[in-house]
Amino acid sequence: MTAPDPKHRLTDWFRKWRLPLRKFLNAKGAVPASDLDDVAQEVFLRLMRYGRMELIEHPQAYLYKMASNVAAEWALRGRYLRSREPAWLGAATGAEEVEDQAGLLELQDQIEQALLTLTPQQREVLKLQFYAGLSRTEIAGRLNLSERSVKRALVKSYEKLRARLNTESFARISDGRE
Amino acid sequence: MDASDRRGRAAEEAAEWWVLLQGEVTRREREEYVDWLRESSVHVAEMLRVAQLHGALEKFQRWSEIPTAGGGTESTVVPLVPPTHTTSSPPLKHTPRDWRLAASVAAALLVVAGLTAWLLIGLRGQVIETQRGERRQMALADGSVVQVDPETRLKVDYEEHTRRVELERGRALFHVAKNSERPFLVRVRNTTVRAVGTAFAVEEADHTVVVTVAEGRVAVLNEPVTESQLPDTASPQKTAASAVKRVDEAPRSDKPPSSGSAATEIILTANQQVTVAGVGTAEPVREVDSARVLSWAEGRLIFENESVERAVSEFNRYNRIQLNVNDAALAQRPISGVFSASDPESFVAFIQSVAAVRVTRNATDDIRIEAAKVDQQQK
Repeated sequence: MTAPDPKHRLTDWFRKWRLPLRKFLNAKGAVPASDLDDVAQEVFLRLMRYGRMELIEHPQAYLYKMASNVAAEWALRGRYLRSREPAWLGAATGAEEVEDQAGLLELQDQIEQALLTLTPQQREVLKLQFYAGLSRTEIAGRLNLSERSVKRALVKSYEKLRARLNTESFARISDGRE
Repeated sequence: MDASDRRGRAAEEAAEWWVLLQGEVTRREREEYVDWLRESSVHVAEMLRVAQLHGALEKFQRWSEIPTAGGGTESTVVPLVPPTHTTSSPPLKHTPRDWRLAASVAAALLVVAGLTAWLLIGLRGQVIETQRGERRQMALADGSVVQVDPETRLKVDYEEHTRRVELERGRALFHVAKNSERPFLVRVRNTTVRAVGTAFAVEEADHTVVVTVAEGRVAVLNEPVTESQLPDTASPQKTAASAVKRVDEAPRSDKPPSSGSAATEIILTANQQVTVAGVGTAEPVREVDSARVLSWAEGRLIFENESVERAVSEFNRYNRIQLNVNDAALAQRPISGVFSASDPESFVAFIQSVAAVRVTRNATDDIRIEAAKVDQQQK
């Protein structure tokens, strides 16, 4: 196999794992947070069964493909119910589902509140990425930051948001359970 | 290290991997990533979580309301004038290697910016205007294609970070060349449609804006019209300027977007349509057959139980030859059919086949259709 044109390599690499990712996020039996660890455990076992060399070519594609497969298999077995899904996750996963208005508003509130805990600069970086659709290089140029600082801001934002949103959604799940 | 420490550390590493994997990665990095994943199921779980978080942020609808460091100087949807730069805290500590990297990135950026500016200078503010009977299809500088309907006026304004089109009147179908780093924005009065790579149509008629998506996904940002904007006298520039200002003010409003006092964003996917009324309120999203609804772009007119009058006015927009219907009852008669927009004769033939009419042509080839005397009916 000849090496692909370097210009297309990045887009190719993206394409290869963007699709499985979308599938994972939009899967009919999208994974509720409460079961994500179980899904991850199963995916982990499958990852161990694959050859390392095989995974290295497209690790992200394998990861999300396996995760959406596991989720779909479990959904078939009725392993979990969608109603347990926390609202913020619902938005990430139930793109095609009709969301009830109240739930949707609540989820928007949750994300908004979580975003407000970030520093103004972190918010700005996220906003430029998700709202204006700028690349990291462009964000760096726009904000007069180094690209490394932009990456740093993104990593920190994800960490903070992940901690905050999950704490809240776990609380919601335990309230609603048993 | 207890379980929650380990979980926290994994979350941090997952976020780092996620950000790294968005860009180009070397084989070595991929190897490290796979090894990291296979180290623990907690790593796998955190990687799935960060993906879900990313998905949620992609779908988040209130970005316009999120305050940032830039404050008032940084516009949210469409910077009318690109900000020179929005200063934030200076970059953190740098190793010499960082500086070299930053310098080369900056140099590359300058070259790219210069080149883009040079390439686009001719396009800045380009106006495309079609007359009655005139349809145009144009390739824009980025490879996007716009199909412009008759009696349409739009302004193309490409900038370094955004591709912007302002539709002043009429309708156009955009086949947007994919470029996630440079959003494609179509603005009609207070409504902005944002797309990355997709095909969608925007129509302005009778102070309403209709957005129809054929492929992909677009976001329709709709800002309520202020009282001062209501009279139709505001210039597009002025309208746009005040609209952007409103978005910046939005975070200070406590009211939910549905109250109509703040900017709202609607996500449309393929085969969906939304109508935004003149006062800035959007109707519920409709499911449509986009191939049918957008058939005008291919030069086809499809009528389904529409009045002859409406059909005639559609044909007249597309052709030099003008049709006239001089009979109120005939004008109101509902018809259904598929026609070539550039062939009014076939429409006339159709009318003749379904109704008793008399057709006359004047010196300028305009066609007059009248109800025939009942007993003189002729096929």
